[in-house]
Amino acid sequence: MKNSLTNKKYKSQSANRRISLSVTYTLLIVFGIIWLIPLLWIFLSAFRCEYQADGTFIGRVTSNFFPNSFGLENFKMLFSSTYYGVDHAFLKWMLNTLIIAIIDCIISTLLVLSVAYCMSKLKFKLRKTFMNISMILGLFPGFMSMIAIYFLLKSIGLTGNPAHPEYSLVGLVLAYSAGAGLGFQIAKGFFDVIPNALVESAKLDGCTNSKVFWRIILPLAKPIIIYQALMSFTGPWMDFIFAKVIIGADNARYWTVSVGLYSMLFGTHPDTNLFTQFAAGCVIVAIPIVTLFMFLQKYYVEGVTAGAVKG
Amino acid sequence: MGTDSKRTRNNGRAGFFFRIGNAFSEFGKRFVDGSLGTKLSHFIFGAGNFYHGQFIKGLLFLLVQAGILAVMILCPTINNTPYGWKALANLSLKNVSEGGEFDFATGEMTVGSDCKLMVLFGFVTIALIVIYFLVWNLNIASSYKADKARKVGKKPTTFVQDIKELFDGKFHVLMLTPTCLAATVFTILPTVFMISLAFTTYNSQDMNKLGTNLFGWNGFQNFSSVFTGEGSLGFEIKNRFLPVLGWTFIWAILATLTCYFGGIILALLINKKGLKGKKLFRTLFILTIAVPQFISLLAVRNLLGEYGPINSLLLSWGWIKEPIGFLGLQAGDSEILAKIMVIVINMWVGIPYTMLMTSGILMNIPTDLYEAARVDGSSTTKMFFKITLPYVVFVTTPYLISSFVGNINSFNTIYLLTGGGPTYVGYQAGGTDLLVTWLYKVTIDQGSYNTGAVIGIFTFLITATITLVTYRRSKAYNEEDTFQ
Amino acid sequence: MKKIIALLVLLAMSLAALAGCSGGNATGSNSGNTPGGNGGVIRVWVGEESVEFYKKVCDEYVAAHSDFGFTVEVKGMDTGTIAQVITNDPIAAADIYTVAHDNIGKLAATKCAKPIGDQSLIDQILADNPESFRKVIYSTLNDKEYLFGVPYISQALFLYYNKALVTEEQAATFEGLREAAKQAGTKAITVTGDDGFNMSFALLATRASDHATTVKIYEGAESVSGGAKGISNCQGDDTVAIVRWLQAYAADPNGFKWASPDGWDADLDKSNKGALAVIGGAWHYNTAKAALGETNLGIALIPTFTLTEESVKGLSGVKAGDVYRGGTFADCKCFMINANSSADKYVAEQALIKYLSSKEIQNRSYLECLNVPAYVGASEFIKKCYEEGKVSESQYNLAAMQVSMAEWGIPQPFITGILNTYYYSKNGPQVFRAIIDKSAYPTTGDVILSETESLAGVRKGLYLIEYLWMHGTTPKEFPKENDYPTPA
Repeated sequence: MKNSLTNKKYKSQSANRRISLSVTYTLLIVFGIIWLIPLLWIFLSAFRCEYQADGTFIGRVTSNFFPNSFGLENFKMLFSSTYYGVDHAFLKWMLNTLIIAIIDCIISTLLVLSVAYCMSKLKFKLRKTFMNISMILGLFPGFMSMIAIYFLLKSIGLTGNPAHPEYSLVGLVLAYSAGAGLGFQIAKGFFDVIPNALVESAKLDGCTNSKVFWRIILPLAKPIIIYQALMSFTGPWMDFIFAKVIIGADNARYWTVSVGLYSMLFGTHPDTNLFTQFAAGCVIVAIPIVTLFMFLQKYYVEGVTAGAVKG
Repeated sequence: MGTDSKRTRNNGRAGFFFRIGNAFSEFGKRFVDGSLGTKLSHFIFGAGNFYHGQFIKGLLFLLVQAGILAVMILCPTINNTPYGWKALANLSLKNVSEGGEFDFATGEMTVGSDCKLMVLFGFVTIALIVIYFLVWNLNIASSYKADKARKVGKKPTTFVQDIKELFDGKFHVLMLTPTCLAATVFTILPTVFMISLAFTTYNSQDMNKLGTNLFGWNGFQNFSSVFTGEGSLGFEIKNRFLPVLGWTFIWAILATLTCYFGGIILALLINKKGLKGKKLFRTLFILTIAVPQFISLLAVRNLLGEYGPINSLLLSWGWIKEPIGFLGLQAGDSEILAKIMVIVINMWVGIPYTMLMTSGILMNIPTDLYEAARVDGSSTTKMFFKITLPYVVFVTTPYLISSFVGNINSFNTIYLLTGGGPTYVGYQAGGTDLLVTWLYKVTIDQGSYNTGAVIGIFTFLITATITLVTYRRSKAYNEEDTFQ
Repeated sequence: MKKIIALLVLLAMSLAALAGCSGGNATGSNSGNTPGGNGGVIRVWVGEESVEFYKKVCDEYVAAHSDFGFTVEVKGMDTGTIAQVITNDPIAAADIYTVAHDNIGKLAATKCAKPIGDQSLIDQILADNPESFRKVIYSTLNDKEYLFGVPYISQALFLYYNKALVTEEQAATFEGLREAAKQAGTKAITVTGDDGFNMSFALLATRASDHATTVKIYEGAESVSGGAKGISNCQGDDTVAIVRWLQAYAADPNGFKWASPDGWDADLDKSNKGALAVIGGAWHYNTAKAALGETNLGIALIPTFTLTEESVKGLSGVKAGDVYRGGTFADCKCFMINANSSADKYVAEQALIKYLSSKEIQNRSYLECLNVPAYVGASEFIKKCYEEGKVSESQYNLAAMQVSMAEWGIPQPFITGILNTYYYSKNGPQVFRAIIDKSAYPTTGDVILSETESLAGVRKGLYLIEYLWMHGTTPKEFPKENDYPTPA
C-alpha cells in the first residue's frame, strides 16, 4: 500500500517534471528568438542586395525583415568606398582600432593588475585613502572630463596636431588606459580570494614582493587577467563618443571604427542610404569580438561574478 | 592585515590632525638635527644626497627642482597660453583681451585670451607646485635618513640598493606610481577643471549673444540660477531638473530590478535539472553582451522605426492604423510609451549579465539546504522563495548597488535608443533624458559648460551619497580584511 | 632613498616640460600649435561631399604656380557642424574653411575669422556676386566692418517629387500634390528637417502675383556690433493666414507630414507610402535619387497654394483665393580665413581663395559635384551644359530650379553673431512645429501656449517666435488682443 503510494507519487512527479521541462524549453526558445531578432536583422541587412527598378542600390532601412535577395555588395562597397574623403576608410578605421585596442589592452591590464595586487596583498600607508579616492573619482560622469582631456592632450601635441594627425591615436590610447588603474575593484576582489598564507610562506622562503607578484599571484590570476584584457580590448571597439572628441571631427583618417560607423548613420545630413553598409560594418566588427567572447566566456563569467560578489 | 585595518580605523579625524601636527614638528626637527647636507636640502634639492655621496639620487632631485622651477619662471606658452607663475596669475581671469586687432598690411591679427586654457593651465601649474613640495619633502627625508644611518655607523644606501628595495619593501611605490601620475593628469585634473567651470560664465550661448570669447568667475550664481531660472539655460534647469531627476531615479530603480529578477529567472530556467543544451542557450543570451552596444541598440532603434519591420508587420496584420512612434523620436510621440520601451529594451541588454552572474551562484547553493527542505515537504515554489532567492540576493547585494549606480549613469541605452526624446519645446531635456544624457546635450551640443558642470556636480552628489551610504554599511567594506 | 621611481617619472615629466618650454620659445609666442606652426602647409576644410574635387583643383593650382610657396592639404568636414568645431577650438581648425554664410557673424564675433584684405579678391567678389549675397558677407571686428566670406556655392530649397505618381502640373501646386496623394494613399509632401532653415518654406512664402510678404527678419539691422537688430515681424495677417492654411493642410490625411525619424528619404520611398514630394536642397540630390531612382526623380519649384476661406477668417490683410508660393532662404557657402592662421600665409591664402571662388572653378564644381555656382549669370552656363549634354536632365533641373527659387527667397539676414544666435535659439522652429501640429507648447515654464488651434493662439505663437528672434528668450507676457505690433 505504502509502496504503491510512493510509486504513484513518483510517477506523477516525473510527469510533472516532464511538463515543467517542456515549459522551460518553450520559454527558453521563445526568449532566445526575442533575443536574437535584432541581431539577426542586422546580419540579414548586411547581406541584403536590393535594387530599384532603374538599378539604384537600396541601402536604406526597408520594411521587409528578410531581404528579397542576398549578396555581398555591401561588403564590397564598405571596403572600397571613400568615406569623409578618406580612401578605403573602413579598412583604415579597423586598423586604427586594432592598434589602439592592443596597446590599450596591454597597458590597462598591467595597470589594473598592479594596482589590484597592491590593494589586496600589500600593506602601506594611504592604502585606504587611495581606495576611497579612486571610488569617488569613479562616480563623476566621464563626459565632464572629456573636454579637459582633449585640451591637455592637445597642449602636448597628442591631438589636434595638424603636422602629425596620427599622434591623436597615441592621445586616445593614453586617454583610454590612463584611468584604467582606478578600476581595480574587480581584480582586487579576485586577488582577495587567493589565500594570504601562500604569500606569507613565499616571503618566508625569501621571495621579494615583486617575485611574489610575478611568480605566485599572476599564474593563479589567469582568469582575471583574461577578463581584464578582454574588457580593455573590446572597449575601443565600442566607444563612439570619447574617441570622436579626442581624435577630432576633421581627422577622419584616424577615427576608430565605431566613430566611423556611428557617423555613417548620424552625420548632420545623415545618409540613410548607408544603412546596409553600416550593417555590414557592424557584422565585421562584431564577428571577432563575439568570437573572442565565446572563447573566453568562462573567464568573463568568472570576472563578472567576482565583481558582483565583492562589489 | 588585521592590525593594519585596526590602525586605519583608529586613525579617524583626530588621527588626521595629530598627523598634521606631527608633520610640522618633524620638519622643524629635521632642520635643527640634520647634517649640513640636510639643512642645505631645504633649499637645494639633492644637496643632502650629494653630501652623503649618493650622487645619482642627488642629481635626480636636483633635476626635478630645476625642471619645475624652470617651468615656473620661464612660463612656456602653448596655444598662446602660458604655464608657470603667469598661469597662476591668469587663474583670476582678469587681464584678458578680446584680440582681433587686425593689420591689413601684414595680415597679422592679435589673438585673444583663451580663458578655458588659462583655467586649465592654472590647475596644471598648481599640480606642479604640489609635486614640487612633495619632492622637496622626499629629498629632505632621504637626506635625513642617511644622516641617521651615518649616526649609527652604517653606510647610506646606494642607488642599487634603493632600486632593489623598490622591488621588495617599496614594491607598492613602483606599482602605484604610474597609476597615480596617470590618474592625476587624466582624471583628477580634468575633474577639478570641470568642477571649477560650474563657478564661471563659460556658456557658449551667452557668450555668443554678448559677442565675446571671454568668461570669468561668477561664484555660486549658476547654482542659484537653478532656483531663479536666470541665464540662458537657467530656465531649462529650473523647469527640467526635477522631472529629469525623478525619471532618472524611476529608470534606475526599474532598470535595476527588471534586469535583476529577469536575470535570476532566466538563470533558473537555463540551469534547470535535466535541461539539455544549457551551453547553447547561455551562449545565445551572451550574444547581446558581446555585440557592441552601439550596434545592438541601433539595430533595435531601426527595427522599431516608422517604416521599420515591426511597424510594417503590425500594419499588415491590421493591429494598428498608423505607425507607432515607439521611441519618442518625433515631437508629439508618447512619452510614456518611450519610457516603457527603453526599460523593456534595457532588459534585453541587461538580463544576460545577471543571468551569467547568478548562474554561478545558483550552482554554489549548498544542496543540503534543499535536501532539508524537501524532507520537510516544501514545494518548489516555496523552496525558491525560502532558499534560492534569499541566498542569491544576499550574495549579490553589492552588485545590486553598483548596477543601480551604473543605471543612473546609463548613457548608451538612452542616447542610442531615444536620444532623450520625445522633446519638449524649448528645452534640451526630453522625456526620457537621464541626468547624464542631459549633461551631454548641454555641454557637447550646446557648449554651456557651466550649466553642464552644475548638472554633473548634482549627479555626482546623488551617486556619491547612495554609494557611500550603502558601501560603508556593506560587508565588503567593513570586513574587507577578515574575508580572507 | 624613497620613491625613486616616482622621481624618475617626475624627472621625465619635468624634462618634457623643459623641452616643451624650449619648444614653445623656439616657435615663438604667437604660434605654438597654431595652424601656422607647421610652415609650408595651408590646410583647407571643405564640405565632405566635394572634398575630392577641391583636392584636385588645389593640386592643380599649386602645380601651376611655382611661386606659391605652400603645399595645400584639403580635408572634408561635416558642413552642419563645422562652425561649432571651429568655435570650439579655432587654433586646431584649418587655415581656410568653408561655412554657410549665416555663420559668418558668429565666427567673426568669436574671433575665428580674418577679414579679406586683398583688393583684387574683393573686386572679384563684388563683381561676381548678386547683391543679395554681397550684403551678407560682411561682419565686424572690433567695431569696424570688414568683408569676411567669399561665396562659391549657392543654396536654396526646391521640390523633389515622385514622377511616377505626380504629374508636372500636380507638382506645381500644393493642392495638386494633395490630389495625387489621395490617389496614391499617401501624404503629399514632407520636409528634410524641422529646423529654422527648413521652416523657411512656409514663413517666407510670398504672394505669387507680387512677391509681397509682411515677414521681416532683422530687416535693416546694422552689422556694427552693438548696432540695432533691425525689425522683425512674424505675425502679420498674411503669415497668420499661411500658418492656418498649413495647419489644415497638415491635418489632412493626404497633406503635409514632418520628416520621419527614419529619414525623409524613407518617406519618399514608394513602398513606404510616406510622401510624394519633399522640399530639399541640392545636397539632398543623391539621397533623393537613391530613394526614387533617377527616372522617377522630378524636380520643381516649391509649389504654390491658394488661401482658403477658413484660413483668412477674421483677418483683414488677406483674402481667400490669394495664391502664395512657398519661399526659401537663398544662401551661399563661403570660403573664410582662420584668424589664427599665421600672417605669412595671408597673401597666399587669398590668392588660393581667389582661384577657388573663380567662375571657372565654380563651373567645374557644378559639373563634377553638382554644387550650384553662386555668381551672377551662372544659369546661362548651367543651361549650356545641359544643351551640350554634359549633365542629365535632373542634374540640369536641380540647378535651374534652385536658381529660379532664389528669386522667391532671401538670404538669411544674419549679419552679426548675436542675431544668428537669436534666430537659432532652439525654440523658434519648435514653437512653429507645435503651431502647425496644433499641439500645445508644452513647457512647464512661465509661458504656456496651449490654444494653438484658434486664431488668437496662432498669432500668439507667431509673436512668440518673433520675440525669440529679437531677444533669444520667451516673453514674460503677451500683448493684448488687437495690440500686436504691426510691421512698420
